[in-house]
Amino acid sequence: MTAQITSGLISVLLAGAILYLVRRDHLHGSYALWWLAVAGAILVLGVFPPVIDWLGRLTAINYAPILPIIIGIGMILIRMLKMDIDRSRRERQLRRLAQKLAILEHEIVELRRANHADDEPKAPKPADLPRIAGRR
Amino acid sequence: MTAKSPFRLLAVIPARNEAATVADVVRGVIAATGADVLVVSDASDDATAELARSAGAQVIELPCRLGAWGAAQTGMRYARRRRYAMVLTLDADGQHHPHELPALLAEQRRSGANVVIGTYAERLSAAKRLAWRYFHLLTGIGVQDFTSGLRVYDRRAVRTLASRHASLLDYQDLGVLMLLRKNGLTLQELPTVMSPRRQGGSRVFSSWLMVARYMLHTTVLCFAQIGTGRRQRAARAGAAT
Repeated sequence: MTAQITSGLISVLLAGAILYLVRRDHLHGSYALWWLAVAGAILVLGVFPPVIDWLGRLTAINYAPILPIIIGIGMILIRMLKMDIDRSRRERQLRRLAQKLAILEHEIVELRRANHADDEPKAPKPADLPRIAGRR
Repeated sequence: MTAKSPFRLLAVIPARNEAATVADVVRGVIAATGADVLVVSDASDDATAELARSAGAQVIELPCRLGAWGAAQTGMRYARRRRYAMVLTLDADGQHHPHELPALLAEQRRSGANVVIGTYAERLSAAKRLAWRYFHLLTGIGVQDFTSGLRVYDRRAVRTLASRHASLLDYQDLGVLMLLRKNGLTLQELPTVMSPRRQGGSRVFSSWLMVARYMLHTTVLCFAQIGTGRRQRAARAGAAT
């Protein structure tokens, strides 16, 4: 019975921490959902360890406790893969933003110089201005 | 702004800390082609930007290091914004001779290829030749000098290379060529004469560790792209029949 108390305590602490962070709005949309599901799974498995044995019988795995470990590691791998995909996406956005920033900065300097040359500030002709529209 | 020539050409020169050579290169390109010249300074710490500007180039300064290709792509995006018909790229270190440029442009007009690459087969070291053989086997791209930064791109090629799909590439080499091929664009090579770099060594082939990194990186890139060209060609052939 003490083992169940220990695992129950750990799972309540973990799930509590996740819930707290989600409630504090530290996690963005889909991430919050993922972590809520994780908290739920931890709570169920920690408070009711017999669920694990039942799952073991269901999947014909002799040594049932290995099941949550395997699933857990699998989930971690998937999560890491997702993180690297997100990082690549962000890298792409960052590079394109840096490029656009540099191009726009160049155009501002150019426009300012043109205005100075004319002495009186006047609006640039529409034909001289590149179109702002279009994809980043 | 500079005068508009009948076929608007933008020469893009990516440069990182090339103060020693960039001004000469800019003046040489203007004298040889009359094109608008854009130097993209890849977060240089030296006077590259000022020197290029005083030599008569437009200068874009990147806020953080994006690498040689990131800088070149900035030029492509600028060219699209300003509706240039063609983009010419060359290195800022003076290894490409500006007086070779007219021949390159003429070759593009003659062959009608989307991309013309100026190659210098004599400079290829044994290691580079081996690398080329290996990548040729992997990709089937028959370009001799795949790291040459001396290239002419037409409007279609520029559109492809300015897109988001090209933004995660790191070098202006096989990754770029594979992307072009995937989009059905044609490549043409023209042998040219180049001088050894006046400043520093090759960025890619500087040390064995770098070479190993580069080979691994590019191999992975190849694996991601393998077969796409063939599939596309098959799809086109299927659509044609």
